[in-house]
Amino acid sequence: MKRRDFLKSLFHLLGLSTIASFVYPAIKFIAPVKVSAKFKPVELDVKLIPAGEVYKTTFMDIPIIVIHHPKKGFIALSRVCTHLGCLVDYDRSESKLICPCHGANFTVEGRVISGPPPKPLQRVPLIVKNNRIIIG
Amino acid sequence: MLKRVYNWLDGRYGISDFLDKQLGRFYYPGDSTGWDNLGFVMIVIFTVQAITGALLALYYVPEPDQAFESIIFIMNLTNFGWLFRAMHIVGAHILVALLFIHTFVVFYRAGYKRPRELNWITGSITFFIIMLFCITGLLLPWSQYGYWVTTILVSIPSMIPFVGEKITEFLRGDQYVSGATLMRFYGFHIALLPLIFITLIAAHVFIIFRTGYSSYEDELVSKDELKTYKGRPFYKKAIPFYPDVLRRILKVSLLCMSIMFGVITFNLDLGLSEYAYIKADPLSTPLMVRPPWYLLAPYAIIREVPDKMVAITILILLTVLFIFWSFIDFSDKKRLIKRPILLGFFIAGLISWVLFTIWGGY
Repeated sequence: MKRRDFLKSLFHLLGLSTIASFVYPAIKFIAPVKVSAKFKPVELDVKLIPAGEVYKTTFMDIPIIVIHHPKKGFIALSRVCTHLGCLVDYDRSESKLICPCHGANFTVEGRVISGPPPKPLQRVPLIVKNNRIIIG
Repeated sequence: MLKRVYNWLDGRYGISDFLDKQLGRFYYPGDSTGWDNLGFVMIVIFTVQAITGALLALYYVPEPDQAFESIIFIMNLTNFGWLFRAMHIVGAHILVALLFIHTFVVFYRAGYKRPRELNWITGSITFFIIMLFCITGLLLPWSQYGYWVTTILVSIPSMIPFVGEKITEFLRGDQYVSGATLMRFYGFHIALLPLIFITLIAAHVFIIFRTGYSSYEDELVSKDELKTYKGRPFYKKAIPFYPDVLRRILKVSLLCMSIMFGVITFNLDLGLSEYAYIKADPLSTPLMVRPPWYLLAPYAIIREVPDKMVAITILILLTVLFIFWSFIDFSDKKRLIKRPILLGFFIAGLISWVLFTIWGGY
């Protein structure tokens, strides 16, 4: 390789590394920041949710619904529909969860009854202890 | 690889032809140096400001409750957010410093004399637009420093009789600096001012492209000659814009970028006031809040002249004199060195400006 060609290649390399040293931080900066939500159990009084009623709250930044089913007891589910992310709501008359966006139907345990969702609603673990519902 | 891409583009769009015929035949006078290309260097630094500003806007929230927190978020939690914010802050100082030097150089070389009168006017208005960029940018972090400096600065026009209060209220968008001011300044900073700036710079560059750069050697064009366009002046010794001047611009730009990264690396607080790290509290004014260095001279005049009417009149007169200087100076002599009275005023003005700047800081 001639000296002139070598210097030219070196100059190109320098230019490319200068561009890369700006583009890389820019891409990293634009990429969404992953801030993991702090784990903190949610505590509710059992009296807050009489049988047949529901309570909406958030757990680790995810909207959830706590259902007090007369036969199945307390169930906590993510409200985020597994189809396209709309928030499901409880239909008292039919005891099921309905997604307002594309009409998906879920049982109170989160299983898909009808509609486009590919999988059931995410279930959130809970325990009932000393008249307190501890979610998470 | 790069050559192949270049050839592909050249075959279709005649890049070489454009560079040779347009930029290669646009000449700069042989007596010009790197100091004479600072206007183009400013365009490079402004581009850096535009890119870093656009990146910061991805995370910044122009809301009094969230603005300061969003800055903390950018600085601490985003990837390289500290770097882009630091570049934006230091870049603004470098841009203003270049602006001052560019203005002095153009004045010294009499670059405002015919046929370039309008270039001085577009440039001087751009001068104030850049100042407005800095002023509106100061408030955006919603810090104690930015909040109170803005409170002081937007109150200055209220000294103008009859219309002053209206101007201040228009700038604030409220009775005092509030969320409305923040939203307004954000809009000015990212949309309105860039629009005006780009329009003015386009006109500024167009004029310099048509009239050529002022040389000590070219004679002042007579008023009769100006009735028909005669083209650019003929320089005894000329330098082509492409590649020679362009290379010079790149070198000076790289020097400015090196200074920027030097400051970011070795001066971590970026010269910011201690109050820039505290969230704005509209109920508590901190001690010794001073505007940034480039605004200290007018600030000192406002503060020290006992009669506010006189102070504001001085500033308005200086502004009018500055903007319309190209039409006010009707002398046919070009070289400042051969005009002792003007040279005296120029040096006295420069010294006063430095002294007022130092005074304003105390």
